[in-house]
Amino acid sequence: MMDRIAAFGRVGIETIASFGRASQFLAGVVGGVPKPSVGFPLLIRQLYAVGVLSLAIVVVSGLFIGMVLGLQGYTILSDFGSEAAIGQMIALTLVRELAPVVTALLFAGRAGSALTAEIGLMKATEQLSSMEMMGVDPLRRVIAPRLWAGFLAMPVLAMIFSVVGVIGGMLVGVEWLGVFEGSYWGNMQASVDFVDDVVNGIIKSVVFGFVCAWIAVYQGYDCVPTSAGISSATTKTVVYSSLAVLGLDFVLTAVMFGNF
Amino acid sequence: MVSSAYITLKDVVFSRSGRRIFDGVTLNIPKGKITAIMGPSGTGKTTLLRLIGGQLRPDSGLVSVAGHDVPKLKRRDLYRLREKMGMLFQSGALFTDLSVYENVAFPLRVHTALPEDMIRDIVLMKLEAVGLRGARQLMPSELSGGMTRRVALARSIALDPELIMYDEPFAGQDPIAMGVLVKLIRDLNSSMGLTSVLVSHDVPESLSICHFACIIADGKVIGEGTPEELRAHPSERVQQFLNGEPDGPVPFHYPSGDTASDFGFPGGAS
Repeated sequence: MMDRIAAFGRVGIETIASFGRASQFLAGVVGGVPKPSVGFPLLIRQLYAVGVLSLAIVVVSGLFIGMVLGLQGYTILSDFGSEAAIGQMIALTLVRELAPVVTALLFAGRAGSALTAEIGLMKATEQLSSMEMMGVDPLRRVIAPRLWAGFLAMPVLAMIFSVVGVIGGMLVGVEWLGVFEGSYWGNMQASVDFVDDVVNGIIKSVVFGFVCAWIAVYQGYDCVPTSAGISSATTKTVVYSSLAVLGLDFVLTAVMFGNF
Repeated sequence: MVSSAYITLKDVVFSRSGRRIFDGVTLNIPKGKITAIMGPSGTGKTTLLRLIGGQLRPDSGLVSVAGHDVPKLKRRDLYRLREKMGMLFQSGALFTDLSVYENVAFPLRVHTALPEDMIRDIVLMKLEAVGLRGARQLMPSELSGGMTRRVALARSIALDPELIMYDEPFAGQDPIAMGVLVKLIRDLNSSMGLTSVLVSHDVPESLSICHFACIIADGKVIGEGTPEELRAHPSERVQQFLNGEPDGPVPFHYPSGDTASDFGFPGGAS
């Protein structure tokens, strides 16, 4: 019994210590902003790596999710003779929930895991150490551009996801199932509020982007520098990011749309 | 050893994961000379370099480089001091996404505002010094182990440092590559007036080029001096290490129980 209590306590202490290290790490990264002349090209390169290269998976996923929403929405709404509201349903579902959440999950799986593996491998091959010994701070040079790139890329990816999803829903609802095009766009325009829906969705994706990028770069930087350590860190990135996104989504939804 | 020390370690104590690596190490590394730090595997030779470079902090004691108390330096000052240091890592630690040319140019681009044509000249000069000017367009994955270390060496001298630290430069090298590295270390030291710290357990190569050497074992310096002084050192432990004897003060057998009982012979302790 005492052993179990001790083990429980040890896990608690280790978790708090890890969170403390991650916060200290974040302070070091955010505090150490490189000069614009140095930092901007690095940021652009990372925006390409984590943002542009994630476009394909985001666009394809957005298109199919929009199409599925169109099919499901039509099936349900037509029972009530309300299939004209399909545009409203698809847009609100995407903008408020699915775009930020699914984009974040896709981001964690594609870009987050890649960031962790890249940084972990740089650590294992002593590239980060050699950078330190050259008088170059790896937190500024390697970590900061990747963190900011994730933070900036996520909202843009989520918006693209929403747009493509709406087009996918239109392809199924309007082009295939015959919903009147005017109703599709008109209901969407009338019901989607820019501040309540679009801005709140963007805020969600900004938060998710920051958390996913933080987890990814920290796991890479803190990993055990062996092949097993990098593998474990990559897995942790995907699992922790997914859980954090889903948990935070509930909290943010409650705050934004709870109407308590 | 000598009075004009560039690096001073005094009563350095360092522990990691509950294990004491250094237990009061005192060492002076003279300016402008090659100092070899030797010792059996796992005695903390690389750790010593990391303490000198400020990547690790000692539990107690003094680590001074060029008059700076390294553990007490602020982050910015520490990074500034490191611009005067070069370090050759055992793996080379080249940036795998950059070519040989870009690897050597990296510290110049970060720390200087030199125009591109001047950077090019310096990079080619450094690569020429290590015999790899013709390999500048290659990627690190296309280099052999010896070439990787030579490129890393060119990169570590790109900023003309005052101090260069070599971490096991000869490990895993064929005789030709080892000969090349020995020549490079000697030539660079004499031509650039560097202070060189060479961590290795390759005794003949290290003693052939160093001016001073010390042997570390069990967390302490067990012998130091010129190569000649070290060869004549009275300590059996030093002699066992220098001559590579399999048995001696460091026993061949790991501590174990009674042999007879382990093999189940009669008369063994049960």
